[in-house]
This record gives sequence, C-alpha cells and structure tokens, in this order.
Amino acid sequence: MQGFLDVLSFLIRPEVLLCAGLGTLLGVYVGAIPGLSGTMAVSLLVSLTYTWSEVPAIALIMGMFVGVVYGGSRSAILLNIPGAPAAVATGFDGYPLAQKGKAAQAMGLACVQSFIGTVLGILALALLTPQIAKISSLFKSVDFLLLGLIALLLVGSVSRGNLLKGLLGASLGLFLGCIGNTSQFSVNRFTLGIRYLDGGVSFIVAMIGLFGAGEALYQLSLDQPPVRQEVPKRIIPPLKTVLKHLPLTLFSSVLGIIVGALPGAGGDMAALLSYDAAKRTVRKPEVPFGEGAVEGLIAPETANNAAIGGALIPMLTLGIPGDAITAVLLGALSMRGVSHLSLLSARPDLFHLILAALILAAVFLLLFGLSGIRVFVKMLKIPKGLLMPIILVLCVVGSYAINMNVYDVLLMVLFGFLSFVFKRFSYPVAPVVLGLILRNLLETNTVRVVLLFGDLSMFSVLSPFLLALLIALPILSWVRGRKERV
Amino acid sequence: MKRLLALLLTIPLLLGCTKTAVNGIIQWGEGGGTDTLMRPLCSYTEGYLDGTIALRNMTGGTGTVATQYVYDKPADGQTLLLGAENPAMYDALGLSVLTYADFDCVILIGSETVGVTVAASSPYEDFASLIDAAKANPDTIRLATTAKGGLPWTVARFIEAVTGATFNEIPYDSDATARTAVLNGECDVTVMKLQAGLDAANEGAIRYLCLFSDAASDALPDVPPITDYDPAFSAYLPWGPFYGVFVKKGTDPKTREALSDAFLNGFREPAYQTLLSDLHVEPLGLCGDEANAYINAWRTASLAALNAQ
Repeated sequence: MQGFLDVLSFLIRPEVLLCAGLGTLLGVYVGAIPGLSGTMAVSLLVSLTYTWSEVPAIALIMGMFVGVVYGGSRSAILLNIPGAPAAVATGFDGYPLAQKGKAAQAMGLACVQSFIGTVLGILALALLTPQIAKISSLFKSVDFLLLGLIALLLVGSVSRGNLLKGLLGASLGLFLGCIGNTSQFSVNRFTLGIRYLDGGVSFIVAMIGLFGAGEALYQLSLDQPPVRQEVPKRIIPPLKTVLKHLPLTLFSSVLGIIVGALPGAGGDMAALLSYDAAKRTVRKPEVPFGEGAVEGLIAPETANNAAIGGALIPMLTLGIPGDAITAVLLGALSMRGVSHLSLLSARPDLFHLILAALILAAVFLLLFGLSGIRVFVKMLKIPKGLLMPIILVLCVVGSYAINMNVYDVLLMVLFGFLSFVFKRFSYPVAPVVLGLILRNLLETNTVRVVLLFGDLSMFSVLSPFLLALLIALPILSWVRGRKERV
Repeated sequence: MKRLLALLLTIPLLLGCTKTAVNGIIQWGEGGGTDTLMRPLCSYTEGYLDGTIALRNMTGGTGTVATQYVYDKPADGQTLLLGAENPAMYDALGLSVLTYADFDCVILIGSETVGVTVAASSPYEDFASLIDAAKANPDTIRLATTAKGGLPWTVARFIEAVTGATFNEIPYDSDATARTAVLNGECDVTVMKLQAGLDAANEGAIRYLCLFSDAASDALPDVPPITDYDPAFSAYLPWGPFYGVFVKKGTDPKTREALSDAFLNGFREPAYQTLLSDLHVEPLGLCGDEANAYINAWRTASLAALNAQ
C-alpha cells in the first residue's frame, strides 16, 4: 500500500511529469532515425543529466527508453528501415501493410500495441519482479545456447517460402558476424588485415544497408508510382481489433517480459521470437504473414515494449542489465552512488520512481505515438524518384552518425548492393540480419558449454529449461498438427 | 513536409556537430566500471575546458579496438583514450603491438582492490582450500573470467605463478555475468573488484576468500589479504586494475598539459572524490612522469607473473 502511495506521489510531481513526457517525445522521434540507437540516445542523456538531481534525470531517461523502443517502428513501417534492432521484426509485416496503403493504420496499431506491451511490462515489474528474477538468474550457458538455436529457427518464418535461400542468407549472416576480433579469445578472424574490421560488422550498419539502402535501390529499379495511402478518420485501431488479438497480445507480452529479463537478450530478440511464435500459432491470419498480416505487427510491437519492464527486473534485483539500455542505466545509477545489487530492497523509492516514470511514459507514448502519423504518411506520397534518394541520404547520415566513421558508410553501401542483388533474385534479406544478430549469442555460449562440459552432447548438459523444452516442443507440434488436420 | 524532412536530416547532423570538440573513446561498454568512472569525470572536466567532450564506447578485443582507433587519429589531443589497465600488457599477451608506451598519460584516475570470490554455498571455506582442490584436480575448478587479458584471467596468472594451481577458465561477457555464473552454480570461483562485488558480499550472496593485496580493506575487514596465504605474492603487489585518460604519443606537450590541468580539476571536484570513495576506488590523480612510473611498475609486476610460468 505504501509503495502504491509512493508511486502515486511521484506521478503527480510536475518535474516527473514534464521529464517523462519530454523523454518520451524525444525517444519517439530519435528512435525513428536509423543509426541513432536507443543505447546511444540514453548514453547521451546520462552524460547530459549527470549534474541534475535524481528524480528528473531518471524520469527523462525512462521516458526516452519507452519512446525509442516504439519510435523504431515508424521508419520500419514507412520505409522498411528499422530505426533500431528491436524494430526489425516490425518491418516484416508493417512495411507490406504500408505498401498496401495502410501505413497510417499500421502505425496506429503499432502505437496502441506498444502501449499495451509497456503497461503489461510495468505490471510484471511491479508485481512479479522477485519471481521473474529467480527464473532469469537460473538461466545458464546451455539455456542461452538453446534460446539462440530456437531464434535461429526463425529463418523458416522469414524465408518467404524458400527455406534453402533463407538458410543461405542466415549462413551468410552468421559468417559476417564472425568477422572481427573474438571477444572470448582476442583473435582476429577474416579481417584481411583491415583494422576497421577488428571491431566486427556492426549489425546496425548492416541493417541500414540491407533494409534501407537495399530497398531504396530496389524500388528505384522498379519505377512504380507511389502507393495511394488510405488516411482513415480514426488512427486509433477499433477496440474490436485490439480485443480480437488480445490472446496474441498477452502471449507476446509474456514472451517479451521473460526474454527481456534474460541478460544479453533484449527487445530485438523478444520481438523476433514473438513474431516467430505468432506465425506458428495464428492459424488463419486474414492476410498471410509477410504480406501485411496485422498479427505480424502486433506480436513484435507488443513484445519489444513489454521487454522494457522485463529488462529492468534483473537490473533492479541482481545488478545485471537485461539489455544494452539497462546497462547504461545501471552505470548512470552507479555514477550517482546508487548501490548496484538489489536496488529493489535497498532503494524502494527509486523503484517507485522508475515505475511512476514508466507509467507516465506509457501514457505519453500513446499521446505522442498517435500524433504526427498523418504527416508521416504524406511522406509516402512523394514520388519514388525523389523519396528513394532522400532515403539513401538518410541511410548515409544514419550509418555515419553511429561512429562518425566513413568506413561505416562504405560498409552500409556494400550491404545495400548485397540486398539489392538478393531482392532481384528473390532471396530474403531478413535471415542475413538474423544470422548477424544471433552469432554472438550462439558462439559465446557454445564455447562456454564445450569448456564446461567437454562436449555438446545433449544429456551431459541437461538443464530444467532444456528438459521442459524437449518435452514441450513435440507436444506443441502434435497439437498444432491435430488442429491443422481438423 | 519539406520542413519535417529537413528536421529529420538535421538531427543527426546536429548531434554530429556537438561531437566536434574533443572525442573521448571509452574502451569498455556502457554501464561497466570504466564507463562509470569516465562519464562523470568528463562532465566535471568540461567545466575547465573550452569545449565539450563527446563520449563514445568502443568495445572489442579487450579494449584493443578503441586503443587502435585512438592511435590511428592525429596526435593533436582531440581524441582521448579513456581506458583501463589492459593496454599495459597488450604486447606481452599478443593482443596488439600497441601499449601505453605509445600514449601519453593525461591523468591516472585511480586503482582498485580485487578479490577471489565464491558463492555463499561454496564448499571452499578459504583460499587455501580452493588452491588445495585446484592443485589436486588441475584444470577442473571452473573459474569465470572476462576473457584473455581481463581481470580474472590476469589474477589467475599470478595465482598460477605462485601456487602452480590451474583452473578451467570459462570466458563471460562482463564481470556481472561472471558473477551470475558463480551465483547460479555454473562456475565455482571468479575474481571481482570490490566495486562489483561488495554489495553481493554484504548481502551474503557471495564470499570473498581473499583480497589480492598485502593489507586488509576497510570495506571488508574480515577478508584476509592474499599474502596471509603465501607471502610470495608480495613480489607482485601492489597490483590492481587502474583507470586513466591518454592521448597519442607525440601530442604537443602544451596541449597534453592543458588537458591534464583540466582533468585534474575535474578529478579534484568533491563530488567526484565522493564517487570514487563510494565505488571503493583508490584515488591516484597522477600525471606525466609520475603516471608513467606507476604504469611501468604495474607492467613489471604483471610481466614477472607471466614469465614465471
């Protein structure tokens, strides 16, 4: 009860209200710009607000956190350029929706689902933190390896009907992910003596090139007129639509919260796994997945925002960041002399402030997320001969902004051409990014498992999670098979 | 519409413009120990510089990626390496040809005490029982490290040099994940800074078996120094991770001194000293020859441990 009153008292403090609102507004728009990642934006805010007092600084940072996670969806839907890795899965069906003239509805739905995901994440954070933290801390290397392997199965979902081509793309992504200095053994691989490659292939640069520049080049080659966009009177999706997909929303939220709570697996992994789960479980989508299915938009957008609450759980209870942004947040708290471990018990006031700021950010997300959609949609009325070069310029600026490094731009251009070739010959591009994202999780945990157990044989590394999955997967497949036969 | 597009294009450019003053390259990730010390220091130092310090984390290869990046920039004091102790040993470990000898030290901020830690439920009651078990079963006891050249890896070399004990070293991404591995039983032991493990120790989740030091710490008065186990360790002490700001060698001495003055002023801010104290970092505040002498002594001790094997 006291905790509830504390949260309430923070909710009505003007500086919390103002800073959470400002942070969310900045986050929504910064998140939409490819190359300006949430981690970078939050790091910038941490430095800027270091001399501020704790309350407004944390409110601003939490607002930014919520805003950037949603913001990434806008450019993914409109231009097929995910603003952040967490929005990669949003583009799978969001962009086809925009291509069908439904960009406004897609952005409205993405905003509402992000709001619901954020709220459910906050509820989990407020009510289930000790339980989820317990599960999260039990995850061992073998479980992370398994999680990576499950995520790799997503190749089947994003291969657009041609698994062989998808596998080829994923293999290429995994190979490209191997370039650079290995974090575990400090050995340079496939760098050809080029120092720039020591740091590896940035998957944000790859993402901008593969999705943004590649799509722009491909669209230019097609020379098609702009798609006529429906601008509905109501941007907010009908309650009927939201209620109809409530089971999927709840499932995606739970998945988002749990995956978000696992150290090293953030909103990107949550969104990808959730998209895959939606594709496997939704029996009759109105439109097939990959061609503009709303379920394909709902699942990742709910999951990546629900992952915010999840990522904060291990940070507050175990002093372990759930993702890159919470790592920055943990550093920011440490700079302020706030104890690392068990913030939940040591600083309940801080926990209540975080909850209040997240609640306000969720409300502001709805407000700012639904604003400006009509203006954004007008962007798609620009003739492609003009719009696509603008996107190419944005890709150049975005890839340069990451590290102020011209080599990043060159690499982005290379990925752009690779993507163009892939699209011309009907190879799916998403598996390449998937391979790039998953390589680190798969490789580092494989190394750990081999060092710990001597080999990868299944029964030498059996864990409760592995056992549960080994039992659950065949049952789920059987149930699904039965449903499809009925 | 055009205005909107112009705005969208301008935001990253504006962000870029703010980064044209002095660039600070942090060689470890966001939220880590180095990051935590560098961001506030730079915030305070900006008050004594004409411009701002634009910070960027550049991780990879135990910090070699950031070190090489700063080295490849002109020696004009515009790009700073905000680093930890690792580059002092790069050449000896085969990680890079560069070391701190290729840089001039702007300021050495402070050093930390580290200790050998196990989970509360561990069967190892003290450091002696751990070493006995490790010697009885070489390469078996699981030591969570943060990869070659990282803190646990280096301390393992000291332990190996003095006692001959060897461990099964499992590389993790950070000290936080290494700590979790010890807490959930995946590993038996790790080496942690006081900053990273003190809370867990005070809450009874982990136990420090000994401190890699020749004296006990006020923060953990009941934990014995490693020299209580074997005085031979004193040949390598004092030793602990340190943090500093560096410019490429060849930078105009006047520029380096101006930077040193600004950073010393930032370092001396009472709020920053409080932060160092809260994080159990021993303040150094060394510049120029004093800083070089400190790094050389540190390197000599580390090389002696490597060569003893």
